[in-house]
Amino acid sequence: MKRWDIILIAITLLAAAGIYFFYMGNAKEGGTAVITVDGDVFDTLPLDEHTKLRVETPWGYNVVTVTDGSVSVTDADCRDSICVNHKKITKTGETIVCLPHKMVVEIEGGDESETDLVVG
Amino acid sequence: MNSRKIAICGLLTALAILMGYVEMLIPLPVALPGVKLGLANVVVLIALYHLGAKTAFFLSLVRVVLSGLLFAGFAGLLYSLAGAMLSFIAMTALKKTGKMSITGVSVAGGVFHNVGQIIVAALVVENVKMAYYLPFLLVSGVVTGIFIGLVAKVCLPHLPKA
Repeated sequence: MKRWDIILIAITLLAAAGIYFFYMGNAKEGGTAVITVDGDVFDTLPLDEHTKLRVETPWGYNVVTVTDGSVSVTDADCRDSICVNHKKITKTGETIVCLPHKMVVEIEGGDESETDLVVG
Repeated sequence: MNSRKIAICGLLTALAILMGYVEMLIPLPVALPGVKLGLANVVVLIALYHLGAKTAFFLSLVRVVLSGLLFAGFAGLLYSLAGAMLSFIAMTALKKTGKMSITGVSVAGGVFHNVGQIIVAALVVENVKMAYYLPFLLVSGVVTGIFIGLVAKVCLPHLPKA
């Protein structure tokens, strides 16, 4: 390995650490799970309730399950099942993506997204 | 291009497609989308150093299109193509500087392959939050890149002159 190899590796790892801590630094226990299909919001699930939601997309279905403040995809008919094997997510900014179905589950903070009423 | 070179290109392309297939049979202990060994890049790297950039480019292109149509389908083809092309541009550019060994070039290839796939994925789901996976894919690109570079480095001296 040459000197520039090491520099390249170091820069990449630093960038990875930077992005990671940027996400983690802003992360807190989430309030709601926002499910989007093809860029449009499909449904929003509060994390303090136990729910099981079948998300029907034009390409297939995913079952999103909320238990004890964590979200996971428990069943899907996509070809790779990456979303089903994905670990449970709990913190804001964390996502589970099912690329074949263009479905994204993302955790958002509870307080700022709980807009019940907008006046004016 | 003489018949000898054509034969070598065909052989390497077949080998690259096979590598992509072998890779699917190796389970990785990481449940993260996009993390893979990138074995096919061994062949692309060897072509880049042994036969030159132009040949390596077409080899990579033919490999991606063929294995995309054979194994992954059209959607998968899009990801591989973005990854492979970005990776190839990065590798050729860094190799041209002459400041890096094959290991560094390979690491750049692995990293930019993952970056390209993330970009396409973000476009497909229309969600920039895909960048959440970026740190993990950057690290995996570095690790597999070092490994792939090592394999190519060991192979290269054993090849007869093109």
